[in-house]
Amino acid sequence: MSRVTYRGAADLPPLSRSSGTMAWNHTGSWRFLRPRYQDKVAPCGEACPAGEDVALVELLVGRGDFEGAWRRIREENPLPGTCGRVCFHPCEAACNRGEYDEAVAIPSLERHVADVARRQGLKPSPSHAPASGRRVAVVGAGPAGLTAACFLRRFGHQVDLFDARREPGGMLRYAIPDYRLPVETVAWEAGLVLAEGVRFCPERRLGADLGWEELGGYDAVFLAVGAWAATRLGVPGEELARDGLGLLDALRQGQRPTVAGPVAVIGGGNTALDVARALVRLGAEPTIYYRRRLADLPALPDELAEAREEGIPVRTLLTPEALAPAADGIALTLTTLLAVADPAGGRARVVPSGHPSVTVTVTAVYAAVGAGPSEGLPPELHAGDGAAVAGLHLRRVVTRGAWAERPPTYLGGDLVNDRRTVVTAIASGKEAAVVIDAELRGVSLAEVWPAIRVGKGGAISLNRLNGGDRARRQDHVVRFEELNTIYFGYQERRPRPRISLEERRTGFDEVALRISGALARQEAERCFHCGVCDQCDNCYLFCPDVSVRRDPGGDRREIDYAYCKGCGVCVVECPRNAMVLEEEPR
Amino acid sequence: MKRVLEGSHAVSHAVELARVAVISAYPITPQTHIVERLAELVADGVLPARYIRVESEHSAMAAVIGAAFAGARSFTASSSHGLALMHEMLHWAAGSRLPVVMAEVNRAMGPGWNIWADQTDSLSQRDTGWMQLYCEDVQEVLDTILMAFKLAERVSLPAMVVLDAFFLSHTCEPVDVPEQAEVDEFLPPWQPTEVLDPAEPRAFNQLSPPDHYLEFRFKMQQAMEEAVGAYGEIDAEFGRRFGRSYGALEVVPARAGERAPLALVTTGSLTGTARATLPSLNAEGPAVDLVKLKLFRPFPQEEVRRVLGPYERVAVVDRNLSFGFGGIFAQELRASLANLPRRPLLYPFVAGLGGRDVTPDSLRAIVARAQAGPPEDVLWVDLKP
Repeated sequence: MSRVTYRGAADLPPLSRSSGTMAWNHTGSWRFLRPRYQDKVAPCGEACPAGEDVALVELLVGRGDFEGAWRRIREENPLPGTCGRVCFHPCEAACNRGEYDEAVAIPSLERHVADVARRQGLKPSPSHAPASGRRVAVVGAGPAGLTAACFLRRFGHQVDLFDARREPGGMLRYAIPDYRLPVETVAWEAGLVLAEGVRFCPERRLGADLGWEELGGYDAVFLAVGAWAATRLGVPGEELARDGLGLLDALRQGQRPTVAGPVAVIGGGNTALDVARALVRLGAEPTIYYRRRLADLPALPDELAEAREEGIPVRTLLTPEALAPAADGIALTLTTLLAVADPAGGRARVVPSGHPSVTVTVTAVYAAVGAGPSEGLPPELHAGDGAAVAGLHLRRVVTRGAWAERPPTYLGGDLVNDRRTVVTAIASGKEAAVVIDAELRGVSLAEVWPAIRVGKGGAISLNRLNGGDRARRQDHVVRFEELNTIYFGYQERRPRPRISLEERRTGFDEVALRISGALARQEAERCFHCGVCDQCDNCYLFCPDVSVRRDPGGDRREIDYAYCKGCGVCVVECPRNAMVLEEEPR
Repeated sequence: MKRVLEGSHAVSHAVELARVAVISAYPITPQTHIVERLAELVADGVLPARYIRVESEHSAMAAVIGAAFAGARSFTASSSHGLALMHEMLHWAAGSRLPVVMAEVNRAMGPGWNIWADQTDSLSQRDTGWMQLYCEDVQEVLDTILMAFKLAERVSLPAMVVLDAFFLSHTCEPVDVPEQAEVDEFLPPWQPTEVLDPAEPRAFNQLSPPDHYLEFRFKMQQAMEEAVGAYGEIDAEFGRRFGRSYGALEVVPARAGERAPLALVTTGSLTGTARATLPSLNAEGPAVDLVKLKLFRPFPQEEVRRVLGPYERVAVVDRNLSFGFGGIFAQELRASLANLPRRPLLYPFVAGLGGRDVTPDSLRAIVARAQAGPPEDVLWVDLKP
C-alpha cells in the first residue's frame, strides 16, 4: 500500500474510492461467526428403513444422471426396481415438500432409474473388499436374505444363499402379483446380487434337506426364511377355505386357476388385498371381509385405493363364524362386530354386536388372516427368549443347548418384524450384514453403530460405514422450518401414469406405467435436497464480500476466510440448510 | 416505424432499444405499465436483461446502483411516494457518479391521496445531483430516454426523465420508433471507467474527510455544468440522426423573427395545451411567445438569461409548489435572471396541482393577468376560494 496525496480536485477520482487495491485488507479478521458448508440429513433419508440417500439421488435424477442415481441407491439397497414398485414409501410421508405443496413422487423415480439401468444392461460396480476367508450361510432368498447376501459379499465374505424354492426372491417372486411387481424385475435384481459372487443353492428347505450338520460348518448363519405358514381361520368348516398366499404363489408360477362368481376374501392386510385384486383379474367377484373398521385396515392406503377403484367392496366389522357346503358353493356365516373405543387411545377393540349373524353364499373363501414363521424354523426360535435383540430388525439366537455348538446365528426378515414390509426386510438384511461382518472381524458394534446411523429412525448407511461422502454429513435432520422456501415455487406433483381400469380388471399387466426421462427429471427437480448442497449458488450470489469461491468445474464451493466477515447471509439464504454458522474459534 | 404507443410503453421501448442490462423497480401507479412491460420483455427473453425484483423503491435504487457499479447499463422507474422513498439512494447514485437512468412519472404527493399529475415529487429531488429532463409528449419521452443514457454516461451523473401522470404515461400517441441499428450507432455500449471488479478489490464510497469532500462536490458541479453543453451536442446529434431535437429551452414565437412583450414559460404536457392555445390568443390580442423548459438539472442558466432576459414580462406556469415560497420553476427562473442589469417582470402562476386540468381558458386567464397589473409572489389559477 503506497500513500497517495491529493493536492486538489484535479487529482481526485470522480468518486470517493481507494486509489489502489484493498486486497491487503483481510476483513476476515473482523469475523466472530463462521459460515461453513455442512451437508445434513434429509428427512426422507432418515425415514427410509433401507437408509437410501434420497435427497442426493433426486439431485442426480434431476440432472438426468440416472445411472449415477441407480448406483447411489444400490450402495444402500440392492433392490431399487422392487422398492420403487412395492415399497410403502415412508420417505414420502417424511418429505418436507409435503408441507409445502405435495411430496416428491420418490418411488416413481426410484423405479424409473432401476428400469433405465435394466434397459441399459448396467452392472453393479465390482467390490474391492479383499477376501476375508470367512463363509456365511444365508437361508432364505427373499428381500432380507438377498440384501444380507449382497452386502456380506461386498464385505469380502463367501456367501451361500439357500432357498426352498427354485428361484430367488421369496415373497417378491412367489407372492406379490405381477400387476404390482413383474417377475422379470425380481429376476433381474436377484440376478445382479448373485452376479456379485453369491452362490445360490435352490430347492434346499431348512429342516428338510438343509440341516445343522451342514450349516454348522459356516462361520455365521442368517435365517430369513419368512412367514409362509398361513394362519387358519379357526372356525368350523375352515378346511373349506383356501389359502390366499397359496393362490398368489400359484399365480406367480404361471397358473391361472378358474374362479368365478362371488368370492369371499377374509382379512385386511396386503395379502388380502392382493388376493382380492388377483381374483378380479381372474374373472371372479371378490368381496373383502374385515373384522375391524376401514380406518384400522393394515393394508397400505395406495393398495386399498386401487382395490376400490377396481370395484372391490370391503365389508367391515364381520368375522367368519362357520363355513358349510351349500348347493351352489359355500355358505359363509359371519358374526357382526362392534368397535369399542380404547379409553387409553389405542386401537379400538371389536366385540360381537349382538345383532344376528350374516350368511353369504360364495363359490370360494380365501383366507388371508396372517401367517407365521415358515416350517423348518426350529420351534424354540418362533417366539420368546430363544433369540435376543441384536438390532432394529435383527435377533441373535441365544447360545444355549444345541446352539452353544453352532456358529453365530441371526434371525431377520419377516421372522423378526411385525410390519413385514419389503423395505423393513431389506433393512433387516442390511443390519445382519453389518452385524455379522463386525462379529467375524472382531469389531465392536458399539463403535460402528453411531457412525453409520442416518438420523434417529434406525436406518443405517453403508456409504457411511465405508467412509463415503455421507460420513461427512452432520447427523441433524433438516425440518421444513429450517428451509428457506422463498426460493422454491409451487409445482404440482406429476401423477403416476397407469393402465386403464378395463385393462386392470382383465389382466395381470403392471398397473403403474413407466415414465419418461423428461418427466422423471421434472419431478426430481421438485426435490428441495434438504441439507444437501446442490450448487444452486445462492451463497455465491448473496455474499457481499465476494468470499464464496467456486472451482472452475462449478461442483464445489469454498469460503475465503481471509475476507469473509461472517455476516451469515449465505447461511440464511441457503434454501436447503446445507450450511451452518458457528462461533469463530478463538 | 410509426406506432401508436402509450407513454409508459414508449419508455419501455426506449429502454429495450438502449440495450439496458439491468432493471430493478417497484411498481407504483402511474409508473406500473412501464415496468410491467419491461418485466414481460425480460421474462419472454425478448430483452436480454436481468430484472431484479425488490421489496421497495429504496432497494430498487440500491440494486441499480450495484449493477451500474459493476458496469451494467441500468434503469429504474418510479413516481411520487416511491421516488420519495428512494431519496437517500438518489444521493448515493449521484455521489457515486453512476449514469443510472430513471423514468419518473410526475404524480402528486399525499396526503390527500392523489395519483394524478403534479411535479412536486420530482422537484423535491432537485438537490440530489440527478439531472432532470421534462417531456411534452410521448415521442419526446421515447427520444429523451435514449438521450438521457448518452448524456448520463458522458458526464457520469444519473438522469431522471420526467413525464406527467396519465397525460403522458397513459395516453396513446403515434410515435416514430427508431430502428435498433440506428439507436446502436447513436448510443454505443457504455464504457465505464470506474468499475467494481472483485478481481481487483477497491474501497468505494468510503469516508471522505473535510479535506476532500468539498472537492468531490465541486467535481459534481463541474459535471453538471459540462452537462449543459453536452446535452446541446447530444440533442443536436439526435436531431441529425432522427430528425427530432428539443433543445434545453424551446421558443415558439408568436410571429417569426419578432419577440413578443410576454413570454409564457411551461413544462411537461402543459406545453402542448399552450402550443394549441396561443395561436388563437395571438390572433385576438397582444402577442405571447411560448417558451418550453425541458432541461431543469443542470439548469441552462446562460440560455435562460439570453432567451428570457429581453422580455418585458415572463409568465411561468408551475404545476408544483414549494410551500412558503411559490412555484419552483418560477423561483429558479427568477434566480437565474436576478443578476441581469435589466430584468423582465416575472409572474409566477401555480396551476393544475394534483392533476387538475389546465385548460385553454386557464391559459387565457394566465396571459390576461400577466398582461395587466403588477406581479405578486404567488398567482393562483382556477382556485376555488
